[in-house]
Amino acid sequence: MHHNPIFIRQLSYAYPDGHEALRDIHLSIAATEKVAIVGANGSGKSTFLLHLNGILLPQTGEVIVGELPVLAKNLRAIRNFVGIVFQNPDDQIFMPTVWEDITFGLVNQGLDKHDLHHRAQHAMYAMGLEPERYAARIAGNLSGGEKKRVAIAGVLAMQPQVLVLDEPSAQLDPRSRRQLINLLANLPLTQLIATHDLDLALELCSRTVVLSHGEIVYDGSTAAVMNDAAFLEKHALEMPLSYRKPYCLLADRPSDRPHPATLGAWESRG
Amino acid sequence: MLLHIGAFQLDVNSQGVSSWHRLAPRTRVLCAILFVFATALTPNARWETWLVYGGGLMSLIVSSRATLSILLKRVAIESSFIGVVLLGTLFREGGTVLWQWGWLQITSEGLVILGSVTVRALLCLLMLNFLVLTTSISALLHALATLKMPPLLIAILASMYRYIGVLIEEFATMRRAAASRNLLNSPRGQRLVLGNMMGSLFIRTYERGERVHYAMLSRGYTGLPCVTEDFQRRSQDIWAIVSLILLLLLGQVVYFL
Repeated sequence: MHHNPIFIRQLSYAYPDGHEALRDIHLSIAATEKVAIVGANGSGKSTFLLHLNGILLPQTGEVIVGELPVLAKNLRAIRNFVGIVFQNPDDQIFMPTVWEDITFGLVNQGLDKHDLHHRAQHAMYAMGLEPERYAARIAGNLSGGEKKRVAIAGVLAMQPQVLVLDEPSAQLDPRSRRQLINLLANLPLTQLIATHDLDLALELCSRTVVLSHGEIVYDGSTAAVMNDAAFLEKHALEMPLSYRKPYCLLADRPSDRPHPATLGAWESRG
Repeated sequence: MLLHIGAFQLDVNSQGVSSWHRLAPRTRVLCAILFVFATALTPNARWETWLVYGGGLMSLIVSSRATLSILLKRVAIESSFIGVVLLGTLFREGGTVLWQWGWLQITSEGLVILGSVTVRALLCLLMLNFLVLTTSISALLHALATLKMPPLLIAILASMYRYIGVLIEEFATMRRAAASRNLLNSPRGQRLVLGNMMGSLFIRTYERGERVHYAMLSRGYTGLPCVTEDFQRRSQDIWAIVSLILLLLLGQVVYFL
């Protein structure tokens, strides 16, 4: 595994209508690090994620994945290196049956039949999908939670070094969400998780990047930023529910003041 | 096939056990294509030939224990669509005039053509519906791939099969939302709302198509789908093709006896 799988410098991106989705993004992510990308709707999270495996190419600045810059000539290697799980599994599961969908990426990788079966089955077991029961199922007839697991299995089967998830807990019931959190917590991969579910971010990621209007406004400890109600509110976010539980003693109440780590991060950004 | 897609279980009898089910999907598709071509290319008024073909097809349907009620229901729905075309053949000129009203006339020639086209259409529909009823869609698509059908066309068919259900669901959701706001109470309102829903569905389809394409690209798609199916020729498949060709020839010979 590469020690510093993602390095981004001065990345900016504007859509054809002139809307500036990303502005001057600098980011470096270390191997096996789990990073939450949070921000309001339209803050640029999805646009940012699409740059990580070259669906969108940088207009200015550069994105380096492993040792390869995200350029058209490197896309094949980059897409094997970074796996993206999209928000809506119906967008991601495009083949008629579960087996065909999970093996789609493997077929494109040119694997032989034996390796293809082995990797697809391994990914299915990892996601709690028994191949005997699920392989022949029609993708459209699965439940929301099953679809999500199939979508992740399809990406895991490609054995990426970096796993990028866009709103992984959206449309999941509490039990499926808990299973997903447990699974992601035990996956020894570099993970970038774009989410509005701040409890999930708090549980999984030690580091959080907050995007607002296409800019990084915070990059640091998850615990620190989740404790800072004023900062979160300023960027159209809220403290996680787990931080807002009733308390018995005044000494246990959530702090109104920003966490010192957060203040430090602000000051360092000038 | 797409007319019944709302039912979602197209291949109701695909798990059956019979000599037909034991054939490779590719052989089944090949048999269906041969049968359809032989039926469609037989000249008009060869009733004996079609009787032989129909007999062969019925014995196949019965021996493979296909659910007749579903098969006939599907053929009936599709026949209603081709009914207009069939009716057009009735008013051909030529032969004895049997009935006339102004310029509209039914002739003996028209009746023969109507009968011939109807028999042909029914036999072809029965064969194709029987194929879809007894073979899973994914096996059918793989069979088409091994028969060298253009991969892009197969990818389009696969996407249609995968997403038409999603579209139907989205349409139903929009319809429920409109009904819950009392927007479907008058016929005029219905037309207006349904028109807008169609437009909205079209835009959503376009956007979804873009997102699906992103998902495909991120899993290494380069423009053409790869086909992994390897086909092994087995004796039963060869026998099936030979038997079918013999039946088709018998049908042609019977006409001259």
